[in-house]
Amino acid sequence: MIAGVDEGWNMSKKAVVIRGLSYQYQPGGPFALKNISFQAARGEIVMVTGLSGCGKSTLCFCIGGVIDYNRNGVMTGEILLNGKNAGNIRKAAMALEVGVVFQNPDTQLFSPTVEDEIAFGPENLCLPPGRIQERVEQVINLLDIGALREANPCRLSGGEKHLVALAAVLAIDPPVLVLDEVMSQLDQSGKNRVQSVLQRLCKAGKTIIAVEHDLAAVAFSHRLMVMEEGILVRCGNTETLLADRDFMRARKLIGLEHNY
Amino acid sequence: MAFLEFNQVSFSYPQEGRFALRDIQLGFSRDGITAITGANGSGKTTLTKLMIGVLRSTRGTVCLEGRSLEEYSLGEIGRRIGYVFQNPDLQFFCSTVAEEISFGFVNQGCRPETVEEKIQYYLDYFELGNYRHVFPLHLSHGEKRRLAIASVLATEPSFLILDEPTTGLDAYRKRLLADLLIKIAGAGTGISLVSHDQAFVNRLAERVITLEKGRVVWDSGEGRKHG
Ligand SMILES: Nc1ncnc2c1ncn2[C@@H]1O[C@H](COP(=O)(O)OP(=O)(O)OP(=O)(O)O)[C@@H](O)[C@H]1O
Ligand SMILES: Nc1ncnc2c1ncn2[C@@H]1O[C@H](COP(=O)(O)OP(=O)(O)O)[C@@H](O)[C@H]1O
Ligand SMILES: [Mg+2]
Ligand SMILES: [Mg+2]
Repeated sequence: MIAGVDEGWNMSKKAVVIRGLSYQYQPGGPFALKNISFQAARGEIVMVTGLSGCGKSTLCFCIGGVIDYNRNGVMTGEILLNGKNAGNIRKAAMALEVGVVFQNPDTQLFSPTVEDEIAFGPENLCLPPGRIQERVEQVINLLDIGALREANPCRLSGGEKHLVALAAVLAIDPPVLVLDEVMSQLDQSGKNRVQSVLQRLCKAGKTIIAVEHDLAAVAFSHRLMVMEEGILVRCGNTETLLADRDFMRARKLIGLEHNY
Repeated sequence: MAFLEFNQVSFSYPQEGRFALRDIQLGFSRDGITAITGANGSGKTTLTKLMIGVLRSTRGTVCLEGRSLEEYSLGEIGRRIGYVFQNPDLQFFCSTVAEEISFGFVNQGCRPETVEEKIQYYLDYFELGNYRHVFPLHLSHGEKRRLAIASVLATEPSFLILDEPTTGLDAYRKRLLADLLIKIAGAGTGISLVSHDQAFVNRLAERVITLEKGRVVWDSGEGRKHG
């Protein structure tokens, strides 16, 4: 067995494998995640939903490898990214395996202009200048944010910040993307644009794990995960789950656009 | 005379050539719920920040109860208008959830014997009871948003502005918030809210104002729907 590669892991398929993942923000404190197991294949879009506080962002932090930076939490279980045990991936190399867009984009924007922000990742990969510029142009076109190019990311509106944070992550081109409520602050045209970009990315083989509350925004995903109080209560075909009105209603997940 | 009035207001951020808002002529009365909608970057947040004097108009005047906002201190404005920021992190400065909720109304001189009761009411309504002693920045995003709304509502302002209050809220909490805002508006508080959430706007708004590139392109006018 190759060091760090899971036995039985199918190179061509599983980009994310989570086994028995639990997390406490403080030793002895409550569990934010309780024994979560699931897998996501290459080219798959998996949406995560559930009431606030159920552990969605915590799950995103764990998959993204950013949970133990500034916290003294306790994580148990196993996370495999692209066949490698996440615990063995060097922090600096993590960005090549997985890219995360946070629920609060302020935490990840720091450059003086949008263009610099997007170039930051490719620069750190030590790509030649021509390739860096090429990637920057590609993602600016993909997300249609040319008008923001010279703007200071800190001064953008909430939705624009999410688009820039997403662009910066896409410029690094990791095989797995973790997106925490990136659509919630976008206007309708921004939502449509991000949705079509995600669909293109997954056709190109990316794996996307995305948190959303709005059921209209999760409908295009392949699979839906529903969490409750740190537990993964159900994971299955999105269409099937959304059609199970009784289940969704019991989980209090049906929005204002529908009556009970 | 409207409670808040924009008279030919234009605004540009310092060191920016272009105007973020242009020739705004609007009145907001103290009853009913108004939704401000428009694409990302159309100027919604900027408009609401002008309403509370956090930003000052470049041209034209914003008047509160007939007097220019410039004549009020931010504290005086704050006692009349409650504001819930788009990013809840910007709003917290206390060390526990309970303190955060009570900070505003304790400062405004609420009777000591009612403090605990009020804290409990808001903890219960926003289902934050389990987090009473928690540090606000350790909450999940939706919990923070509920706390931000609760601590502003607890000051019982006569006019309330909420910037994208539903982002980060789950469907169930959106319903609870909608119900509460309708109740508050019915009891005589004017509400303006910025939102992309069409279902939320449809449910609540009696008046809809739409911005496009810094200009008002649609105003359905005032009308009553609730209460
Ligand atoms: N930094 C932290 N320290 C301690 N507890 C935390 C911290 N962040 C989150 N929690 C708690 O962990 C639980 C899960 O939080 P998490 O942010 O993962 O929820 P979420 O599902 O993303 O919610 P939301 O929909 O509101 O974003 C909640 O009970 C929350 O209060
Ligand atoms: N602090 C700031 N400095 C410079 N420009 C800003 C600042 N804040 C917002 N802007 C710009 O002003 C315009 C309106 O922004 P905003 O009012 O936040 O939009 P909305 O809330 O409608 O999404 C946008 O083009 C935005 O980039
Ligand atoms: Mg979250
Ligand atoms: Mg805004």
